[in-house]
Amino acid sequence: MSRTARTATVAACVAASLALAGCAGDHGGTAGAGSSTLNIATMTLPQSLDPAVATGSALPYFQAVYDTLIKREPDGTFSPMLATEWTYNKEHTALALTLRKDVQFADGTAFDGAAVKANLERFQKGGGASAKWLNDLEAVDVTDATHVTLKLKQPNPAMEFYLSDAPGLMANPGQFAKGDSLKTTPDGTGPYRLDKTRTTVGTKWSYSRNADYWGKELPYKNINISFFDNETAITNGLKTGQINAALLQTSDQQIAIESDPKVKTEKQEFDFQGLLLFDRDGKITPALRDPRVRQALNYAVDRDTMLDRIRQNRGRTTSQVFGPETQAYDKKLDTYYAHDPAKAKSLLKQAGYGDGFTLKLPRITAIVNDALAASLQSDFKAIGVKLVWDTLDGASAVQKVFKDRQYSGMVMNMGQSTSDWAAADELVTPGAFNMFGTTDKVTRMLLPALKAGSEAEAKSAARELNQHLVEEAWFVPFYRMSYLHVSDGTVRIAPQSGMAVPSIYNYAPAK
Amino acid sequence: MLNFIARRIASGALLLVVISFLTYLLLSVPHIDVGRQLLGESASQSAIDAKNASLGLDDPVLQQYGTWLSHAVRGDLGTSWFTSEDVGQAVGNRLPVTASLMLGVTAVTTVLAFLLGVWAGVRRGAADRFVQVLGVVGYALPGFLLTLVLVLVFAVRLRWFPAIGYTGFTDSPSGWLSTITLPVLSLSVASVAGVSQQVRGAVIDALRQDYVRTLRARGLPASRIVFKHVLRNASAPALSVLGMQFVGLLGGAVLVEQIFGLPGIGSMTVTYTTRGDIPVIMALVMLTVVGVVLINLLVDILIGWLNPKARVA
Repeated sequence: MSRTARTATVAACVAASLALAGCAGDHGGTAGAGSSTLNIATMTLPQSLDPAVATGSALPYFQAVYDTLIKREPDGTFSPMLATEWTYNKEHTALALTLRKDVQFADGTAFDGAAVKANLERFQKGGGASAKWLNDLEAVDVTDATHVTLKLKQPNPAMEFYLSDAPGLMANPGQFAKGDSLKTTPDGTGPYRLDKTRTTVGTKWSYSRNADYWGKELPYKNINISFFDNETAITNGLKTGQINAALLQTSDQQIAIESDPKVKTEKQEFDFQGLLLFDRDGKITPALRDPRVRQALNYAVDRDTMLDRIRQNRGRTTSQVFGPETQAYDKKLDTYYAHDPAKAKSLLKQAGYGDGFTLKLPRITAIVNDALAASLQSDFKAIGVKLVWDTLDGASAVQKVFKDRQYSGMVMNMGQSTSDWAAADELVTPGAFNMFGTTDKVTRMLLPALKAGSEAEAKSAARELNQHLVEEAWFVPFYRMSYLHVSDGTVRIAPQSGMAVPSIYNYAPAK
Repeated sequence: MLNFIARRIASGALLLVVISFLTYLLLSVPHIDVGRQLLGESASQSAIDAKNASLGLDDPVLQQYGTWLSHAVRGDLGTSWFTSEDVGQAVGNRLPVTASLMLGVTAVTTVLAFLLGVWAGVRRGAADRFVQVLGVVGYALPGFLLTLVLVLVFAVRLRWFPAIGYTGFTDSPSGWLSTITLPVLSLSVASVAGVSQQVRGAVIDALRQDYVRTLRARGLPASRIVFKHVLRNASAPALSVLGMQFVGLLGGAVLVEQIFGLPGIGSMTVTYTTRGDIPVIMALVMLTVVGVVLINLLVDILIGWLNPKARVA
């Protein structure tokens, strides 16, 4: 072939490709195949499909292939799943479970009490992010194939919550000895099986219906869960129907999608955003030792303006860290700290900080955008507190804040657990989010009651604790953020209590 | 020529080892607590320590690098710390996506940039001014803006192309073409703008040469002079720019892959680098180095093939 002919051939091929591209209107192969397939988009990436490292945020990936012992309904109530009944003893130190007997894992092995014991012990020691939830588990006594009792080291009223979350996922113990098998080849009793031929780990997981499922089959034959690292692609995919359902967190994307007449939306308030004050003993910033100073910071924040400017009014201002689904929640506490710079200044003066002080906080721009950073800075400046931001990337922030404990607080987005004890354990007991171990007489008195008291006692303790935390200004919450569940119009989505993303059971074809 | 290729490959291999070592050193500067990143803020310190130990992060950096290198030369790139994927497989899954984009852009650029450049250089006048304006506008247009407009018009509004996702060529050639068309177009604009200006300049220079006057005097048809002789001499600088554009495309691919939700190397680099996933980052860096070495080699060979004078140099 001469050089000219060769050039002409290449040119012709390119031209043909371009022409073909122009005509290609069939949308390729990524669009959903009607209502038999549900395409969900998410921004959460699971570490693997091994339940030992499962976390609540990645639960849908696991729910498709593994059942939990207890099911958490959309409204937060618990219902039977692999366990048909469960009862706590009076002290909340033992939880007896009755198990289903007609359930099999993918390889045909029967699910039984021994499997529950093996799974819980493995989760506890597996080193996953949620393993701490089973810290109070002392032993699992297997009475027989359908009866087990969870013995606890100390009272823990949140076990039902945990068993409906990551720790409750049940995998086939026969796979435990086979190294990393479960990471990519799940073996559970769930409503779907992973379709490995259509799955590309890291970008898209495909599941097809489990013909042998013991329970009621879910409405979709196939489910695809695709990972995206930005909401722009998700929004475009929803508009073109390539994605059937997704959660949008940023207000810009929420506004962008709402103008589309085809989409269906459902709002949910799950995360709150606020300044978590860690240094209530004044180790780094002495001023914070005085509750009046912490109260002053709360009065300084103009929550209404922040919500309006930063979240386009998508959410609800609040002064409490407990969510509306907890017993501790008190609507009145949402408005406890009104914007009152004069009162803030007076409190600072009473505390001996009339000339203000400097507060240095870490800033991760993904959480604290420019508007929020400037807003908080000017609100604090108005009462004489100089806010200095240390801009960090996510990884170094985690290191400097949680390991090196270099800061007095941090602005974060926190999920609001529906379990009073789970929420208190996370924020009030000494640990990651109470890193300097702040405690006082009131919390020491209320926490045991919340943990081990009767239902009425626990409720009363929870409410008192919440009131106390707000009055003592342990935190500076701004608002609960309104998230938007969006479907392309073909799916009905029920938001899930206690989770930002809906459970796999919460999707159904729109009528 | 074979000697030249062998030398380039040998220096490329050396470069690979040096860069891999430096990259590993940089990544190992202990600013990221991987165990804590993996297990979350509220994990206990003992769990975090155990996780770090299980990943070999307690070993001296040189030992870690040695282990990585000895596995890598045997083709074992390890497992992602964050998603437990086999790194070789993970990169292999995403490579076709980015390769499709880059080859597509190169093909479009080659054809359009040479056509426009030759047209402007030969015709001059209004055609030349038109191509120059096109070049400036194409280069100045912000890539993300153009990409978003393309998605909104051709995918969301007109539904001619999918807005997100990628279909493999082997799964469906037409699906593949439709999923990469918009991303390729959005990446091609700046590329065509840059290369067409180079071709234009080189063609104008070549047309002023004495040999062209001689050829014209001998009565050769103008098209033959341009396509056989002028273009051959003008292609060397254009190919060099094309080579650089190809390497530079990796940067553009990050944005385009994110907007189109394409599971390629670009978006993978962002996702895994922010997490400090050393096995994956090392594989991506190695891949990039190999790509750059190969492209430069290919460009040199092509230039030598087109213009024998360059071989001497």
